Amino acid sequence: MEGAQNKKMMKTLLALIPVESPLYSFHPVSRLLLFVITGFIPLFINMPELNFMFAVLVLLLFIYSKVALSSLKMYLPVIICAGIFTFLTFIFFPGKDPNYQVIGHIFGLPLYDQPIMNACIAYSKILALLLSSIFYFSTNRERDILAALRTLKMPFVASYVLGLSLRSAGMFLEDLHTVREAEQARGLDYAALKFTDKVKLYSMYIIPLLSLALRRSDEISNALYVKGYSMKNSGKRADYILTKYHFSAADVVSCVILVLLLFLIIYFKYRYQWFDANHSLLQTLLK
Amino acid sequence: MTDVIEVKDMHFAYRDGTEALKGIDLTIKSGEFIALIGQNGAGKTTFAKTLNGLLKPSQGYVKCGGIDTSQKRVIKKLVKEVGYVFQNPDHQLFNNEVRKEIAYAPKNVGLSEEEIEERVTEAAAVAGIKEDYLSMHPFFLPKGLRQRVSIASILALRPKVIIVDEPTTGQDYRQSVEIMEFLKKLNEERGHTIIIITHEMDIVAKFAKRVIVLCQGKILLDGDTKEVFSQPDVLAKAYVKVPEATRIAQALNRFGISRDVLSSDELWDQFQSAISR
Amino acid sequence: MEKIIEINQLTWQYTDTDHPALEDVSLEIEENMFIGVCGPNESGKTTLVSCIKGLIPHNFIGSYKGEVRLFGKNIRDLNAQELAKYVGFVFADPEAQFTSMSVEEELAFGMENIGLGSDEIKERIQWVADITGLESLLDKSPYDLSGGQKQRVAIASVLAMQPRVIILDEPTSMLDPIGKDSIFNICARMKEELHMTIIMVEHTLDRLARLSDRLILVHQGKIARYAEPERFFENVGELLELGLNPPASIVFLDQLKQAGLYDGPMTTSVEETIEIAQSICARKEAIK
Repeated sequence: MEGAQNKKMMKTLLALIPVESPLYSFHPVSRLLLFVITGFIPLFINMPELNFMFAVLVLLLFIYSKVALSSLKMYLPVIICAGIFTFLTFIFFPGKDPNYQVIGHIFGLPLYDQPIMNACIAYSKILALLLSSIFYFSTNRERDILAALRTLKMPFVASYVLGLSLRSAGMFLEDLHTVREAEQARGLDYAALKFTDKVKLYSMYIIPLLSLALRRSDEISNALYVKGYSMKNSGKRADYILTKYHFSAADVVSCVILVLLLFLIIYFKYRYQWFDANHSLLQTLLK
Repeated sequence: MTDVIEVKDMHFAYRDGTEALKGIDLTIKSGEFIALIGQNGAGKTTFAKTLNGLLKPSQGYVKCGGIDTSQKRVIKKLVKEVGYVFQNPDHQLFNNEVRKEIAYAPKNVGLSEEEIEERVTEAAAVAGIKEDYLSMHPFFLPKGLRQRVSIASILALRPKVIIVDEPTTGQDYRQSVEIMEFLKKLNEERGHTIIIITHEMDIVAKFAKRVIVLCQGKILLDGDTKEVFSQPDVLAKAYVKVPEATRIAQALNRFGISRDVLSSDELWDQFQSAISR
Repeated sequence: MEKIIEINQLTWQYTDTDHPALEDVSLEIEENMFIGVCGPNESGKTTLVSCIKGLIPHNFIGSYKGEVRLFGKNIRDLNAQELAKYVGFVFADPEAQFTSMSVEEELAFGMENIGLGSDEIKERIQWVADITGLESLLDKSPYDLSGGQKQRVAIASVLAMQPRVIILDEPTSMLDPIGKDSIFNICARMKEELHMTIIMVEHTLDRLARLSDRLILVHQGKIARYAEPERFFENVGELLELGLNPPASIVFLDQLKQAGLYDGPMTTSVEETIEIAQSICARKEAIK
């Protein structure tokens, strides 16, 4: 802990975030909006190359926000797995359509053009959403997330429960780590286990994790009580943390641009069928 | 006495680059009773975890019973050499019966059914867990007993060295002494090498024969308990205070009371002979 | 001085047990006192302080006889907010009591609950961070701190509500010596400068004995002893029998008394004990 001052990244319950970042000058609501829009616009777009461009845009945002790109390594398995699953599903379960054209063979199975295109579309959307989620959690502390939700008038109790669950998720992961170490200390060689045994093992973790969680939930209920909190009379109360955040001109401008972008894309998609798969370069290539 | 653990120029850095241990050299001999002390963050727990291969050194080596902990696939061999009891029993009990809990480790290392049965009976008896408890769920036992179950579950491997992380935290003095007497028995009667991590200097003075003081990832002092506690000025660097009886003895040194008194009884004996001399 | 806590013939039994945890306990505590509570595990220490805070009967199930009065009011008639204004409570495990994502929020949370406005909260955060030495940590996550810092956050979050009484239940049991010292120093300041009443439960007697105005020994659900430290330690043998570990300086002083070498008052200060022993040795040397 001694060297914490000169570190570039710091830990939150969910991810690593940069200690300093130009993004921090934006209000949490702007940052939430950025996440929603970079993550969700691709859902309206059926042109993989455009979605990949969104993914690249998010990567540029990573660099702008001073998030160490090496921290992405941790998520690589998820990103790759999602890809493999998507493609395998579309290759092995292509569905039937007289318009499908065979473009090759894999494991003796015919490879159709349209399902491959669909896989590319689906994966490009997943990738964009994954990257923007990782980006969001790599640039927002838990308190920023809660502040954004409270500014948007989410009821205090709801945001509080969300906060407590975020916190318990973090503690849960820490406990899991210690429990696994304790198993190793008793001769369990995790690397040598068969897959089925690994699955069985996870069911064993439930006992210690649940017992820790039960003891903790008692403690937290007492802790809330002694701090004068009760669900019944939590009517009007000051929200001190929100007084620490202010909307700047830059926030207003960026929010307006982001919302406008979203509306434009939706408008052109439904009015003029822009962003359809048949406008895609990849589609042309596959044909 | 044979060496059970050998540590040579060992460094350890966490994944984020923080160097927790900065060059540790020591050997531990069979049958020792060691206390590992120092401020929080000095590296005590990290150090202890390198001793049984839970953490692998980033430089230098740790050998337990001649096995280098950095080698791959040595867990099953290492746990027979060094057992590690975690601080919170709730982190290490994951079976639904005390019997299965104690049998868990022997099963992992692939012992036969008969052997496992024998080890369970033995470990339970040594740890003072009554027959009736064996069929109970560990979750419903009181904390003191859960701690005994976690020690028994390690004992079942018959490791040469047993490391216990803060065995007395949250216990009252009587319970602390009880658990320490138990560890002493394991040490003296069954020949286990014991390493405890603790902040309680009275307990250290009463039970440990050798004290290792860690400070900022390095060994500040390492030696006989009496020898270590007779250097209060050096200990102050690691924010360690000597036991009160020792402090009083040191203040009375010019009247012929030795500086390495460890207990109230010893202090009183020396004081009496000093004034009747 | 004004009596602020009065317990009259209180008996409490948790539903899932067959013995009462507290039996026919009566106790009076005056304002601006530092009260140390000690005793073996499971003797009823935590139960006693939980009754003073009102956690019992409000947050536990069991049978309750007798009454506890806080500032003249029956504790059963006070709700969580009112109780929080009178009595603060700090638990042994600092991490278990955190409810927020940053130190600053953690400090603000209790004050929001008792209905303070944002400006007042801001002022009090500055004030309490100054007293507990947390100024540079306000922005951090409470989970990233050292044990001693965590417990200081826990105390500060209670202190910020400015209760008249603060109860600490084994606040240092998970801390190293430096952490322990910092907590005891803050408690001493709260008593001296803020004129608060402090009630602290502890296993280790040395620091507690030195700070307390009065010590309570709880044994088997009853109050076995309630006295100033000088009188509390008059019978060291009995304390040892109960499995307590009185400070070595007090044991030594007791031995001097037993041997007829000293007949002054019991002191809890090591320095004074050393002086007494030195003067005895010097006297003996002079005679020779």
